[in-house]
Amino acid sequence: MDFFNKIPEMDRDALRELKKGIDLSFKEFSREYGDSIEGFFDPLLHFLIWLEKLLVSSPWPLVIGVFGLLAWIGSRSIKLVIGTMVCFVIIGYFGMWKNCMATVAIISVSTLVCIVVGIPIGVLMSKSNRAEKAILPVLDMMQTIPSFVYLIPIIMLLGIGKVPGLLAVCIYAIPPIVRLTNLGIREVDKETLEASEAFGATPFQKLRSVQIPLSLPTIFAGINQTIMMALAMVVIASMIGVKGLGIPILQSISNQYLALGMMNGLAIVALAIIFDRVTQQYGQRIQKHRGQKK
Amino acid sequence: MKIKRIILSLLVAFGLTSFSGIANAACGKISIANMNWASANFMAEVDKIILEEGYGCTVELVPGATMPTFTSMQEKGEPDVAPEFWANAAIIALNKAVDEGKLHSINKAPITGLGEGWWVLPHTLKKHPELTTADAILKRPDLFPHPEDPSKGGFHICPPGWNCELSNRNHFRAWEMEKKGWKIVETGSAAGLDGSIAKAAERGENWFGYYWSPTSLVGKYDLQAVDMGEFAGKDNWDNCLAKPEQECANPKKSSWVKSEVFTVVTDNYKKTAGKDGMNYLKKRVYPGTAMNGMLVWMAENQAEGADAAIEFLKTQESVWTKWVSSGAAKKIKKAL
Repeated sequence: MDFFNKIPEMDRDALRELKKGIDLSFKEFSREYGDSIEGFFDPLLHFLIWLEKLLVSSPWPLVIGVFGLLAWIGSRSIKLVIGTMVCFVIIGYFGMWKNCMATVAIISVSTLVCIVVGIPIGVLMSKSNRAEKAILPVLDMMQTIPSFVYLIPIIMLLGIGKVPGLLAVCIYAIPPIVRLTNLGIREVDKETLEASEAFGATPFQKLRSVQIPLSLPTIFAGINQTIMMALAMVVIASMIGVKGLGIPILQSISNQYLALGMMNGLAIVALAIIFDRVTQQYGQRIQKHRGQKK
Repeated sequence: MKIKRIILSLLVAFGLTSFSGIANAACGKISIANMNWASANFMAEVDKIILEEGYGCTVELVPGATMPTFTSMQEKGEPDVAPEFWANAAIIALNKAVDEGKLHSINKAPITGLGEGWWVLPHTLKKHPELTTADAILKRPDLFPHPEDPSKGGFHICPPGWNCELSNRNHFRAWEMEKKGWKIVETGSAAGLDGSIAKAAERGENWFGYYWSPTSLVGKYDLQAVDMGEFAGKDNWDNCLAKPEQECANPKKSSWVKSEVFTVVTDNYKKTAGKDGMNYLKKRVYPGTAMNGMLVWMAENQAEGADAAIEFLKTQESVWTKWVSSGAAKKIKKAL
């Protein structure tokens, strides 16, 4: 009867030894390979530092002008350009310029990393059912595992600062772009593919000139989601020493600074809306362009 | 029929509550702040077991952090007990609440040998035995490279929002560390700060920054406190170093202010837990070594405060039996 009332449990000491063993082997791993892994990420770190310095030390009207220009290139909407520039002026006026630039730097670099790493993985998944089956559960895990859980090993391996922060952001933000690239390519019309095959296209030509262009709107939706999720990680990234809008938010959490928290939170929202609208408009525009050509 | 049933259930409910009232006649319901760091978590769990088993209280643990818990105790009278309250953060407000009779700081030193300041790792001192004072360390930024700018020394400060973050930033200016080639390392969170120390210790790197005792890290890695020289007066500390940077124009270098750590209770606790409960908290003083030892035990076994409390009560009877009456001690031992 006892069996039904109490779930079979691992022996306490054995469990403790198991946990200790896992910790110890990870520590040994980090002692052995930590330095070389850190070295591997060095170029990324230098790029991040360079970008942040560039954004912070350039004259502010120039930086805002560049943002406006980027918004124009992306959206071709004068309303959005004005909105973007006004937002940044307000953010600067309320004393959040430096932090905001640090956040923009890390968000853009992590989005870039996610795109560079994510799209090829998505393509691979769309090409092979086996790869899809293997990668999907990993993506599920990346999206649901509480970030604090993987922050511990990341800190042990890479210390605190920009690179571990970037990794934490990417782990959380990369799944949408992988998923949507895969989905987009799989959804490309079979008949169009057959036509390209009939013209003797190699698999690479098929991918480059048919599948990717036709799935671009879906891929863009993925990029958009990736940016949004990266912004959602700003505060968590600050918890492992990434400078940016997350730091004042952490300050206000522990001191109940209502206004400070609200202002920085809204600054993140403003960034999110700008990024979102610009990428969405861009995605729509490339779609429109293709429609006309047909 | 329906009314009958309602009356019946009311009667049953009433009967039950009055019964439980009788069972805990000596003490009522109290809440203890379970602060979000290990030593306070451990103390809260020990208090819970001792008050429940030894004195018949019903104890509820509520999550807390220094300032939110203090504000809530002061405004709402809840939770009733803050076992390890670092009072420097709110000394003026605390004194006021004590004068008004809302709160009582009944134990002014629940743990011995604690303190804040700057620390280095022991292997650093082995290689460079001269680095025992802050002045000597600040001359060698090259030994402690900043992770993002190796040409500067990295000075690890408190996570954002902690009171020690402000004082560390002011110390940074007071010791003219920027001129000496140092740069602040933002640690982001307690996990970040701890992780940076653990990583440096495991890899044999040098580390310099702020930390405090009692903590498992101090015990585990044998962190060495840095001699920061003379304390440059209360005025310098209270009106400058402890303030936000804008309000501290001319900080003077100084050693860390003495940490006031109290056990604070509400007036409600005094009434509900009575004389016995008050006496227990008054006598409850953890020797620093015992505390650090328990914290290392917790870290090594990845144990929660609750496990550590049982381990402590089982293995260190000589420490805790002095805190309680012999009758209560018997009851607690029986319950373990």
